[in-house]
Formats: sequence, C-alpha cells, structure tokens
Amino acid sequence: MTPALQATGITKRFPGVVANDRVDFDLQPGEIHGLLGENGAGKTTLMNILYGLYQPDEGTLALNGTPVQVTSPHDAIAQGIGMVHQHFMLVPPLTVTENIMLGQESLRPATRFLGPLAALDRRHAAQRIRELSHQYRLDVEPEAYVKDLPVGVQQRVEIVKALYRRAEILILDEPTAVLTPQEADELFVIMRELAKQGKSIVFITHKLREMFAVTDRISVMRGGKMIGTVTPQQATSEMLAEMMVGRKVILQVDKAPAQPGELVLRVEHLQTQDDRHVTTVHDVSFQVRAGEILGIAGVQGNGQRELVEALTGLRHIVGGNVTLLGHDITHARPRRITELGTGHVPEDRHKHGLVLSFPVRDNLVLCTYYQSPFARGVEIDDYAIRERAQKLVTEFDIRTPSITTPAGSLSGGNQQKVIVARELDRPVKLLIANQPTRGLDVGSIEFIHRRIVQARDQGAAVLLVSAELDEIMALADRIAVMYKGHILETLDANQATREQLGLLMAGVKGGTHV
Amino acid sequence: MSSIAGIRARRNELRVSLLRLLDTLSMPVLAIVLGFVGGALIIWMTSGSLETVFAAYAGMLGGAFLKTRGLSETFVAMTPYVFLGLGLAVGFKAGLFNIGAEGQFYIGAISAVWAGIVFTGLPTFIHLPLVILAGAVGGAIWAGIPALLKVRTGAHEVITTMMMNYIAFRLTEYLVSYPLRDAKSSAVQTLRVSPNAELWSLYQVPQRLQDPLNALFVALVLAFIGWTIAEWIFLRPKWVARWTRARRHALTVGIGLIVGLVTFFVLPPLTRAWWLVTDPYDRMHIGIVMALIAAVAVWRLMWKTTVGFEMRVVGANPDAAKYAGINSARTVIITMLISGGLAGIAGTIEVLGVSICRCLPLFFSSGYGFDSIAIALIAKNNPIGIVGAAFLFGAMRNGADLMELQSGVSKYVISLIQALVLLFVAAPAMVRWMLRMKAARDVETEQLTRGWGA
Amino acid sequence: MTLLPKRHGARFGFRQLVNVAFGIFAAVLVYLVFNAIIGGQCDGQCVMGMLNQTIRYAAPVALAAYCGLMCERAAVINIGIEGMMLMGAMTAYGVNVYAFTAMKAGGMDATVAGEISRWLALMLAVASSGLLALLHGVVSIRFKTDQIISGTVINILAVGITGYFYRQYLAQDIPPGPGTFQPFDLPLLAQIPILGTIVFSGQKPIVYFMMMVTLLIHYVLFFTPWGLRTRAVGENPRAADTLGINVFRVRYINVLLGGLLAGFGGAWFTLEAVDVFNPMMTNGLGFIGLAAMIFGNWTPFGALTGALIFGLGNTVTTTLSFNRPDIPSQFPQMLPYVLTILVLTGFVGRAIPPAADGQPYEKQ
Repeated sequence: MTPALQATGITKRFPGVVANDRVDFDLQPGEIHGLLGENGAGKTTLMNILYGLYQPDEGTLALNGTPVQVTSPHDAIAQGIGMVHQHFMLVPPLTVTENIMLGQESLRPATRFLGPLAALDRRHAAQRIRELSHQYRLDVEPEAYVKDLPVGVQQRVEIVKALYRRAEILILDEPTAVLTPQEADELFVIMRELAKQGKSIVFITHKLREMFAVTDRISVMRGGKMIGTVTPQQATSEMLAEMMVGRKVILQVDKAPAQPGELVLRVEHLQTQDDRHVTTVHDVSFQVRAGEILGIAGVQGNGQRELVEALTGLRHIVGGNVTLLGHDITHARPRRITELGTGHVPEDRHKHGLVLSFPVRDNLVLCTYYQSPFARGVEIDDYAIRERAQKLVTEFDIRTPSITTPAGSLSGGNQQKVIVARELDRPVKLLIANQPTRGLDVGSIEFIHRRIVQARDQGAAVLLVSAELDEIMALADRIAVMYKGHILETLDANQATREQLGLLMAGVKGGTHV
Repeated sequence: MSSIAGIRARRNELRVSLLRLLDTLSMPVLAIVLGFVGGALIIWMTSGSLETVFAAYAGMLGGAFLKTRGLSETFVAMTPYVFLGLGLAVGFKAGLFNIGAEGQFYIGAISAVWAGIVFTGLPTFIHLPLVILAGAVGGAIWAGIPALLKVRTGAHEVITTMMMNYIAFRLTEYLVSYPLRDAKSSAVQTLRVSPNAELWSLYQVPQRLQDPLNALFVALVLAFIGWTIAEWIFLRPKWVARWTRARRHALTVGIGLIVGLVTFFVLPPLTRAWWLVTDPYDRMHIGIVMALIAAVAVWRLMWKTTVGFEMRVVGANPDAAKYAGINSARTVIITMLISGGLAGIAGTIEVLGVSICRCLPLFFSSGYGFDSIAIALIAKNNPIGIVGAAFLFGAMRNGADLMELQSGVSKYVISLIQALVLLFVAAPAMVRWMLRMKAARDVETEQLTRGWGA
Repeated sequence: MTLLPKRHGARFGFRQLVNVAFGIFAAVLVYLVFNAIIGGQCDGQCVMGMLNQTIRYAAPVALAAYCGLMCERAAVINIGIEGMMLMGAMTAYGVNVYAFTAMKAGGMDATVAGEISRWLALMLAVASSGLLALLHGVVSIRFKTDQIISGTVINILAVGITGYFYRQYLAQDIPPGPGTFQPFDLPLLAQIPILGTIVFSGQKPIVYFMMMVTLLIHYVLFFTPWGLRTRAVGENPRAADTLGINVFRVRYINVLLGGLLAGFGGAWFTLEAVDVFNPMMTNGLGFIGLAAMIFGNWTPFGALTGALIFGLGNTVTTTLSFNRPDIPSQFPQMLPYVLTILVLTGFVGRAIPPAADGQPYEKQ
C-alpha cells in the first residue's frame, strides 16, 4: 500500500547540531503513527520539515507516492497536511470562526470584487465549522472567543482548523501535555474516529503509556536519528525507554522513606485571583513538614500557578492565610519570604527565573546579591560573587563556557540547573518547585530529581507542583490533587494509584463529578 | 593560591576582554564614519559642488578643534551632553524611555537660577552647591512626576515625559517673562544670579583659590574624591583583604585627608605660579570636571552597587525582578529621579557656566533633549562611551557655526548626520548589509528599550 | 480598574462606552469652568463655534492616532509619527509655495494655479511622510531594530531634514504662496440641524478626510480579510505565518498606510491651519496622537474620542487667551498637554496593546 507520506533520508543541520540525521519515516493511510523521543531528539524538527516550516538540507518527501516539496506551511496545507502545534497557533482575541477561516476567509459575494477589502462572511464559515465539528464529534462553538475557551477545547479548535482546510494528514505535537488522563482518552477516541474516516495521523509524545493506548505503530528517535519502528504489541516500556535514551533507564527514583519533622508550611483557606480578577484558587488548605515532599498534581490551568505565586509573594492573597515556621507570610513581600528560608524554582524559567541577558554569575546571586558576602551596604563585592559562582558551577555541573556567559546561551537543562543551584545554595527550609523539569533532557531530569530528594533528606520541606503525573508519583511522599482551584484530596503516595489520581485530576471524587 | 594556571587564566581573561572591547568599538566607529559619509552625500546633492562638502567639513573641524579656543569650546558644548546622556542611559538601563530630558533640563536651569537669585550674601562654598542641588532637585521632581504616574497608573513614560517637556517650556517661559524677569534689561531674561553662585571658569580658578574659604571648599571636595578613589583601589587586592576593616578605612581616610591638606595648602600658591588656562576669554569651566566625575559615579552606580544591579534587572526582565524580591516601583522612581536630576544639573551648568549674562534668557536651549537620546543610544548606555559620544556631539555642535560661516551649509545638517549615526548604531544589521559584511560571531542582541507593555 | 473582563480590541465594547461617557462629562465640565473664567459670555452660538473648532483641531491628532493604530495593530510601534507629520508639513508648504510660483510664472491663472498647487502639495506631503514610514518599516521589520529607537531616529532625521530645507529654501525671500485650503460645507450633510452646522460645515478638506478615514479604518479593521489578517499578525504573528499569511508584507503595508495618514495630518498644519512653516511646528501632536490611540484602546472611534478631547483642550486654550489677555498666555498653552496626561493616566489604567507589539518577527 502506498504510504500517505514517505520521508527518506531527511537531514537538517543547525549551527552546532544535527537536528535530523538521515531520517526515514513513513505513514500509512488511516493509521495512527506514534513518534517517540525525549526533548531535543529531533521529532519536532522532523515534523516542522513535513509542515514546511523548515527546508531539509538533504532527503526527499513523497505524498501518496508522488515526490513533493513543501515550501511553507501554506504549501503544506494546500497539499493536505495539517498540524496541531504544542503551543497553539491561535489568536486569542479573535473568535473561533475568525481563527479558523484566517487566511482563507469567506467573503460576502456582493463585495468580492473589493479583494482584500471585501466584507467577511462569518456566518457562512460558521456553518461549515458546525458541520465539520459534528461530523468528527469535535464540538466547537464558532462564536466563542478563543481566549475564553479552556485548553482542551482550544485544541479541538486547532484540529477543526486543519480539517476545515481539507487536511488528510494530521500531525499532533504533544497534544496531551495540557490534558488530564481522561481528556487524553477523549482525544484518543477522536483520533480513532478520524483514522476510521481515512485520515492519517502522526502522534508525537514523550509519554510511553500513550503509545500503547492509541497507536498502530511506534517510531523512536534519539539524537536526531531514527532508531527504529515497532508495533505496540511487540514493544515494552523498558524497550522503548532504552531506545529513547540509549541506555538502561531507571524509571524510578531511589528514595528512602520520608521522616517528617516539624511543621514548616501551613496554608489555610487560601483564596486568590488570576489577572482578570477571577477567583482561581478557592479555599485551599494543606501542610508541609520538614523532611517530606508534598506533590501537588493536576492538569495545568487549575490554579497551581496562582497558588505558587501566592505562596511566594508574587500574587496578592484575597482570603485565608499562609504561615511559614510560625511567621505569617500572607501579605509578605517576596524578599521577606525568601529571607525566611524559602527557595523557589519557578514554572517559567525564562520569565521569572533568569535574566537571560545577564551573565551566569549574576543569575546565581539574583536573590541574594544584596546580602553579605556579596554586598556590604550598597557596594557589591565582585570577587565574592565570582568565587561563589565558580563553586556552584562545579558543584552542580553546569555546562557553560564561563561564568560570564549570558544565561540565555545555555541549554534548557543547564539554565534550570542555574536556578536550582541558586535556590539550593541557601539554607532552605522550604523548597517550592513548580514544573521543575519541564522541557528538559533525561540527564537533567535525573539530576534535578536527585537534588530535590537530597534537599528533603537534609531536612527541607518540599512542595512539588507538577503536571507530569510520573514525576509526582516518583518523588512525592504525599500527593494532593488540585482541580479548579480546590484540593480535592490528599493521598499517601505509596497507596495512590494512577487511576485514582487521574480521576481526581479530572474532578471526579468518590465516583461523582465535582 | 594564585598559581601559574591562575595567572594564565587572568591573562586570557584580559585578552578576551580586550578583543571584546575592540569588537564593541568597531561598530560605533563604523557607524560614525558612515554617518559622516551620509552627511557629505546630502551636502553634495543639495549644493551641487564637492568644494562645498570639503569646505563644510573643514569648517566643522576647524571650529571644533583648530581655531583659537576651539577645543575648549568643544569641551564647553560637551558638558551638558555628558550629563544628559548619563541621565538617559540610567533610564534606559532600567527600561525607561525618558524623552523628557529637555524639559528636565529647562526646569533644572530655572530652579538653579531661582536659587541663585533668591539667596543673597551666601559664601561660595554654600551657594554653589546649593544652586547645583536646586537644579538637580528641580529636574528630579520633573522626572519624578511621570515616574509616579507610571507606577500608579501604568501610563507610559514616552508620552508623559514628552508632555512634561512642553509644560516645562511654557512654565519656564512664564517664569522668565514675569516673576524672575530682569526689568532693567531690554532683552527678555531673568535677573542675574549672585556671583557666588556662578560656576567657576577654569581661567578663574587660581584667582578663586586665593580666598581661603574657596580653597577649603575645593580641599573638601578633592578630599572626598580622593577617599572614594582610595576606597575603590584598596578594596580589591588580596593583601588588603587580610587587614581588618578599621585598618583599611584608616588607610583610605588617611589618603583622603592628605589629598585635602595638600589641596588646601599647596594648590593656591601653585596655581598662582602656574596654571593650565591663561586665556581670559576661555570659557571652559569646572563643569567639565564635574561631568567626568559624574560619568565615573554613574558607572560605579550601575555596576558596583545593589541599586544599580536592581535597575538593570528591572530593565532587563521586570518579572524576574519581582521574583528576585526587587521593589520595581521603588526602582523606577529612584531611576527617574536620578535621570531627571542629571538632566537638571545639565541645565544648571548651561546657565551658570556658559551663559554670558549668568541668567536665563527666553530662548536658550536648542534641541539638547533629542540629541542626548542619540548620545545615550550610540554609546550603548555605557558611561565611558557617553563621554566619547558627548565629545563627538559637542565637537559637531561647536564646529557647526564655523561650518555655516565658511561654507554656507546650514547647521541642521548636524542633525542629519547625528540621525544617520544613530540609525547605523541601532541597526548594525543594516550596516553589514550595506557593506556586505558577514556577522563576525553571534551578536547578542541587546535590548536597549522596551515596548508599551511594562 | 476593570469593570468587566475587557473585550480586548473589540469593536465597541462597554469600556469604550465608559470612555466616551467620561469624555462627554469632561467636556461639559471644561465648558462650565471656561465659561466662568471668561465671564459667562459663551452662548449657544459660541458653543457651536467652539465645537466646530474642536473638530478642526482634533483632525491632526486623530490622523496621527490612526497612523499609530495602523502600525500597532500589526505590532509595529511607531513613535516617529511626530517626525512624519513634520515632514508632511514642510513638504506641503514648500511645494505649495514653489509650485504656485512656477505655475504663475508659466502663465497660469492665479486661482487655478492655487488650487492645483495645494492639491499637489498635499499629495507630495503624503508621499514624503510615507517614505519616512517606509524607512521606519525597513529598519524595524527587515533589520529588526528596536522599534522605539527606530521611531526616534525618524524624529531626529525629520527635524534635521525639515530644519535644513527650511533654512536653505524657506526661511527668507520666499515668494507668496496661494494660501491654505478654503473651508466648505458638505452638500447634504450640512443641512442636518445642529449636527450639520457643527460637524459638516465650514471645515476644510483634510478634516472631512479624517472623518471619512475613521469610518474606513473601522470597516477595514473589523469587517475585511485585510483587517482580520492585520489583527492576527499583531496578536500572534507565528499563527498567521503558519496559515500562509506573509507577516512582513502585512506589516510593511500597514506601516506605509499609517505613514500616508500621518502625511495628511502634517499637511493640515501648513495647508489648513496656517500659511507658514516653522521648525518643530507640530508641537508634540504626534505624541498626543499616540496617547489618543492608547486611550481609544487601539480602535478608530476610541482614538477619535481622545482626539476630540484634545481638540477641545486646544480650542479652550485659544479662546481663553483671546478673551482673557490678562492671564499669562503660557498657562492656557499648558492646558492641552496637562489634559493629555490626565487622559492617559486617569481612566485608562492599563490598556492592553496588541500582544506582539514591539517584537520583531523572526522567521525560523
């Protein structure tokens, strides 16, 4: 059977790295083909080439047997290739209809002669969208503004956008990153429906389980090369993990049982709002003791970000209170919270955690530059900073040409190490880590996980917030699940099962939807 | 312990810094050259003859350096530019686009004049600092208002400072025309400031030093500077680190005292016997010394103090600043106060050191504000660079008169050249494209300003 | 301060209504105060005259605001509007005077020559401003320079160019020009009671143009594919790019169109307001236009409201100076600028610009 898509010998080079090295990849009609690999393996590059965002340096592409060149996304769409990116390509202030018809707008016939200044025909487009969403059971509301839609629905809008343009091949790039396990299952149902109706799907993910759930074949990439293609029936988790990483991977972190000590953090009835003054955290209460890791699980967008910001003084608290080692920090400024012994590894390392244009050295003292030994009064002591920076770079194995290199030049993993090094360099009593390993390679993930456990063993209370259920289950001693701004339940990590947590993450407690 | 490897590392580091310095300088130098080439082209196109171009540039060169007192006039023109450039650079580093420098300049000038007129009979060593302080405070307040508005309401400073400019123009106009007006003079100008509030011209220095009070004043100032420099030098080497704090301070204070005593006793008779400036018409004044000190002070502020660090973080990444515990609102206000203060001092100097009547006439500035934006940006907000760029602009401004006289080319061509230089400095990609150069290595795109969403 | 979740950039939401309501309230307040200061002499006729004048003074600000709007909707910050207007003003004046002289010397009738030279001047003014805008576009879009710096370069360049040409050709010994455009009434619309007299009669062409452009921009921005694509490019250029929209082309064209509008605004100074050119005669109106644009939340009608507020301020200033010569003229002259600051800080709070505003687009 002629493959719907055939890529042969695809090679793509960027300065300093070969992103794709003679990659062969084929997609059969009506199949769901999973593409697996860790961050930086080259999967996204390959898909961007298929979608016309990059041009390959070498290699060929063929659609249904005929050789083609995909020069741009516009071209890809014209040839029936649609892509749903990991970070959605939607325009939030516009409606669903406007987003979907953008670039291929429906015009009122009477005004068509005006060309780009003709009048838009939103109703016609909305009609077509309703038909499509019905046909594939995608349920999107054309009149809604995209920014008001929840993430799962936005994703469906992206899929409809591809179908509206008559895509026969759909590339889904890490679609489940923002979904609960249950929503992911719903997505898989949609995918199977699409495949049944003849669409061919490339499904990119780094989560092994999902491969077994929905794919017909699995291809694994590593370091820019295509390692191999197997079927879910033939493969095991261990085999796939080893193909992904190239060595035997320990999928579980070695940790001794927790020995909880005194109460460090007490949160009571916390309430806070997001930027639009909508209450996103309602009545959250929990405690963290020294020497234990409390993991807060939950799909992104359920208030975790606002919770962490509230705890670290970056967001105003509307109700309730927070106590740290007996001090009331409900309305404290970030600096006071830091001085009381808190370390914070923020969710967005580029936005909050680092100043990318500053040298590594300055980033390593970003929170403590005003304290001795780095400063006396108003004066900064460059030597002290330099010494400490050297020490931390060595201790945390931060790969950087020098301590004066701008932090923006470092890889994601090393940037995160800078942040972790900085926070753990202080004697922290409370460590708050928010998505600490997002987007990192396995080596960095292992390292950071080890340091978090080490901090715990040295007596710190650790609050770990993560959307990666695997990470929570590997590291946490107790797990609290957050859903729509509430803590639904707190479980002992030894006893919690994935299914239990998944249900809670979807808002189902004790059998009923909350 | 410093070993051979350590020394080699330090030498390497030095070499890398030197290479980086050359690299950093090459672009601005190229931009300046291209700017002048562009200017030549425009002159040639509008006048039709190559002779005019040569005459124009020769005139500029002559006016700036070669004619009698040319160089000193250049220094005179350069001084306000240094202060304004520093003020703007401080703002830019913190992410604030303070185009209200010209208004702050005006308010500084009028505040200084007011302080110079209102108080009479004060000795120099009180009146002069008072006047300068008044100018700085005036400029600071004028910049502080938009800062407060920005912090409280989010109003972007580009527009508020620009509006404050126009309000400043009108306010100054009013003050010069009515309350502070010199009724005896036919021209519209303020009263003359008290002689003790004038900025000393360099020619006058020996004469002024004969007064023991003035000598004391200068001695105190130089002692303070000497102490600061000593603190700076002796803070670093390792052999000093082993001393106790008290001992180190004794050393630096001692040095300061020695400098002060020498100044007080030795300087007056020494300068009476021999002094640099012997031309009575020379208009160079101590403002240039103040400007250089200010440049060094700003450099120290930005890179060696916690306040400067905070400013730079707020400018580079306000989210990270918040995370780091920096109070952004406070930083913004402090930055604008300093920026406005420096602009105000520029205005003070212009009035008290440069104007012949030692007063403020009705029309006195001519576009210092925009020029200084160009200076700050050309120098990439680096205080040392600002001194250089200010020198260039001062030279051009000074030479423009002679250029116009000798070649008939209007003074406004200076603005054109400056705009071109700024263009080429801000868009190195453009220069490379024009000259078919390849990017030498990964140019770190330094963000010099930010958009609306602060 | 938000009353409802902001319908960002929408056509005419609640927020716009609040701003307009506020504008009207402020205007009434201003009138009452002003009337008191001049001793209660302002009757109905006087009010109508002032409103008419307000629209006239609002025109350059509105056009400047629209220039900023076109650029920023496509995510290109343009603070060089002041320079572009200055360029337009000078070009208009120079062409007007010299073309008229040349045509008269060639034997043409004075009235005809005058009309032709004025329209020619307008066209060339718009073109010159457009050229500057194109420069800004190239520097910011192609060479990815910081847009605020690029705008500043435009301003300095304009000051230099206009000053230079003014000194060389326009300062002394200028032949007499044909003067400014003559005011006229719009045929049917002027008949409308009250509104017709205020808005549609006694204005000059550029003011009427401004009115038409307001409607046009509103239509284009919210009802056509071009407007949709522009807005998409301004909010999420990468999304637009993946759908085949040429982000660079959209930005260039919008910036150019903005520049043309600024040219109209600049020409207003020398072809409608006064028959002379002075260096720096735009007096900050370019920046005030930006304030109006922000006040209007990047919508044409909102910006117009802001421009009208400013126009009112200006009208009050001139009328006040005229009626009360005892008050030093500098204080009323400060009024428009103080008003702008108040407008910007008072009720706008933090307006949200298009999301990609100020960021050069990198094609991967």
